[in-house]
Amino acid sequence: MSLLSRLAGLLKIRRLERDVEEELRAHLEMRAQDNVAAGMSPQEARYDAQRRFGNSTLLKEDTRAMDIVGWIETTGQDLRYAARMLRRSPGFTIVAILTLALGVGANTAIFSIVNAVLLHSLPYPDPDRLVRIFFNEPGVGLRDVRFSKPELDDLLTRAGVFEDVSPIYEGSENLTGVKQPERIDGVNGSFSYFSMLGVIPQIGRLFGPQDFAPGFAPLAVISDGLWRRAYGADPNVLGRTIRIDGDPFTIIGVLPRGFRHPGPTTSGDAEVFCPFGFSADPFPPPMRGTRILKSGIGRLKPGVTLKQAQARLTTMAAELRHDFPTDYPPQAQWTIEIQPLQETLVGKVRPMLLVLLGAVILIVFIVSLNIANLLLARASGRQQEMAVRLALGASRGRLVRQMLTESMLLSLIGGAAGIATAAGTLGFILRYVPSNLPRLNEVRIDWVVLAFALLISILTGLVFGLAPALHSAKVALYAAIREGSVGSGYGTKTGRLRDVLIVSELAFAVILMVGAGLLLRTLRDLLQENPGFSPTQVVTANTWLGVPNDPKADPYLGIPGKAAFDRELLRRMKAIPGVELAAITSALPITNSNPNAVGGLAMEGLAIQDRPVESSQDLRAERIRISPDYFKVLQATLLRGRSFTEGDENGKQPVAIIDESTARKYWPDREPLGRQVRFGKDPTQPWITIVGIIKDIKNEGLDIDGVPHIFVSVYQDPSKQVSVALRTSLPANLLEPQIRHEIQSIDPGLPVFNVVSMNDILDRSLASRRFSADLVGAFAGLAVLLASIGIYGLLAYMVGQRSREIGLRLALGAQRADVLRLVMGRGVVLAGLGIAAGMIFSASTASTMASLLYGVRPHDPAVFLVAPLLLLIVALLASYIPAWRATKVDPIAALREA
Amino acid sequence: MKPKSDVLQGTLALLVLKTLERGAMHGYGITLHIQRVSSEVLRVEEGSLYPALHRMEQDGWISAAWGVSENNRRARYYQLTAKGRKQLAEEEKNWARLTAAVGSVLQFAQ
Repeated sequence: MSLLSRLAGLLKIRRLERDVEEELRAHLEMRAQDNVAAGMSPQEARYDAQRRFGNSTLLKEDTRAMDIVGWIETTGQDLRYAARMLRRSPGFTIVAILTLALGVGANTAIFSIVNAVLLHSLPYPDPDRLVRIFFNEPGVGLRDVRFSKPELDDLLTRAGVFEDVSPIYEGSENLTGVKQPERIDGVNGSFSYFSMLGVIPQIGRLFGPQDFAPGFAPLAVISDGLWRRAYGADPNVLGRTIRIDGDPFTIIGVLPRGFRHPGPTTSGDAEVFCPFGFSADPFPPPMRGTRILKSGIGRLKPGVTLKQAQARLTTMAAELRHDFPTDYPPQAQWTIEIQPLQETLVGKVRPMLLVLLGAVILIVFIVSLNIANLLLARASGRQQEMAVRLALGASRGRLVRQMLTESMLLSLIGGAAGIATAAGTLGFILRYVPSNLPRLNEVRIDWVVLAFALLISILTGLVFGLAPALHSAKVALYAAIREGSVGSGYGTKTGRLRDVLIVSELAFAVILMVGAGLLLRTLRDLLQENPGFSPTQVVTANTWLGVPNDPKADPYLGIPGKAAFDRELLRRMKAIPGVELAAITSALPITNSNPNAVGGLAMEGLAIQDRPVESSQDLRAERIRISPDYFKVLQATLLRGRSFTEGDENGKQPVAIIDESTARKYWPDREPLGRQVRFGKDPTQPWITIVGIIKDIKNEGLDIDGVPHIFVSVYQDPSKQVSVALRTSLPANLLEPQIRHEIQSIDPGLPVFNVVSMNDILDRSLASRRFSADLVGAFAGLAVLLASIGIYGLLAYMVGQRSREIGLRLALGAQRADVLRLVMGRGVVLAGLGIAAGMIFSASTASTMASLLYGVRPHDPAVFLVAPLLLLIVALLASYIPAWRATKVDPIAALREA
Repeated sequence: MKPKSDVLQGTLALLVLKTLERGAMHGYGITLHIQRVSSEVLRVEEGSLYPALHRMEQDGWISAAWGVSENNRRARYYQLTAKGRKQLAEEEKNWARLTAAVGSVLQFAQ
């Protein structure tokens, strides 16, 4: 039946009713007539006909219900009745709808994020065939190591499982030739980068295999964002020259608006894409051991499963290890791993998002259990209504349907309000979501989100509607009519149902409390974590000197040129009023501002004097170039030896300072001071002497421990990444214009970016942890509040129903204390049951949260002790009020009422 | 609620469809016909018949129109549709299969 004819049918309700009535009457009369013909008296004949019909109203209803029109009509009737019932108790209705709107709204918002980030496929054709390729050395505990051009060629030609592979070289780049020099994220890929991803340009063309050059082709494709920002969306941008790190590139195309590079970037989205051949200038000759490529993305051939491809790559890695033993030392166990691209992009945030989703679902169920309790209380008040309707011949199914229609109406109104709230506030909510969450720009309320919100609304409607509905239909006819008017006691059936609701509510609450406890403890531990330096009164700024492909275009080539720049920069920084000390580093603490460390570490191989060469493969450390005052600015603790001085410059003995982690790892039982190390495998490089040891500085994040760091003098080992750390009592926003001015007075082509205080850096690094901990914490608080209201309501109701019994007990000599114990005992038993159930569930699932925790074990005894205890105390308080009221029952009054 | 097992309903539909194969008829006439032809063995409950008739109408197996009965009374006449004819053939086949199956079980038991 089409929608149109259904609607038309609605207009025919009246006629249908008349038709059915007339049809049945005709039947009755014909039967009666035949009966008369068979010899019955007219009256007898009518009775007989009527008797055969049974309940003629019910028959009429049943017959009508067979027509869709009738069904709609009945539902319409129920809805009108339901709406009347809801209007009759506006307080209850408003509270129920508001709490539901909040619950469903929160669910919709969180699910819209989950949907966009975790559920949606990546926005490329055949996204399931896109994989990220990792090179690992499990033997020495290294994952995602670099690879060489010959290894890349092996993936393409020898493996036979890839349709295409592109190395990805993400990095910080200087964009000049536009109004204000900018530091942007760029991606250097192979010539097939775009064809592999299946992108179509907005204007112009994309580079492809036809542009191939062994080194690089001076072609650039820019993002929609850069096109609008720097070129005002000028369609004549094609053919214009863009300067990236000083090198000229010709713009050949603009990417579509929604395109995003599927990988980590240093900050925002990648905006410039350039093609490279990776095997000629500016790259070193392609040797198997020259591992310069950072990461790789591949597209599997159609029909090749991930498992098959992985098996083939594992075999190929073994063959290569066998064929080139000098390039693959056996102890490293070099191997190749692939992972779905989507997984590598969102895998890290999955646990957090799932925990948040779980928390909002728990909250909406707690809300609906509370509403169920309220409805049950109302249902008890409506027992007589139901009993009378049953007595008049309404079927139980019909009553259940009526009650369910009421709760569905309630939940759908609440749900619609929730969806509207979520849709209206999504933009606002997203501002509080940590911006490092991938794919946030794809978050929107689509039909999947709507379907989920509808499902949640219907489920909650069922949860809080089914119990009271079944309950009222089960009301024993005789009992309800007989005792309906006077509350004669705490009916066991309602009682048990309400007990179950309260117990589950408390169980859900304790689960949320345990989760919140673990997350909040983690956050507190991290806030108290000693980062190894003092972040207060430190302002940081960054610039990038650029790495031109053409060495002649580099004004800071070589050590002397760069050192001169550094000294001039420091002189100017110290001259800014309010700046006490200034220092330079290649990698600021906590976020590791080193652009080579995008999405991880840039650990470099090193050699240690007095150690056999063959073991040098597994020696790695993070190299950080600093100026002499760096540790003073950060107030880091020098344990032994000395800091760098202005004298540690080019031509003098190269020196290094190591941290405790490095000392412990590489000189566990010897004094490292005075020993020598060397980065890379080039034996012509000079040895660097260790002159100092400092306490560990958390350079990669508060929650990352044990990374070995080696600090070297920026005057001996220059860095293109220049981060400035200033000790000052001035705020970052006040200093920013001066810092920018001073840096650009040295070189107007230098971008200045991320001018922030060190405290803000620390704060931002905890943003997503704080977000989830605060959110789950707030939900847990709400859950405790709702649970205590629930338990209070239940006991208050029980005391009201049993006041006669309590009065009788008191009259017979029971002490007030006994009564207090009676009521509170019930509260404690229910709370205990709920808490125990919740604790069992928490204990069995806590380990799924392990990846979200730091410094706290998933079964942290403190959390598992405090959460239930706290809830028990709240439950005790909530049950004390009704219990105290019970002791105030006047035995005389109670008995007289009876 | 009255018990409405699928078998009963299915059988009722078969009986009604078969009855209507002879031509249009009203509800009362259908009960009489089934009762008479089955030698009073099968009695159709009014409580099931009318809901069933309306359901079959909804499903498009039969169509209804007001007409005048033998004794000049307005009555609702039901008529088999093409879809209903197909359904009848289907149900007859099912019924034959079912009775044959039951029969062979019974024979086997003896």
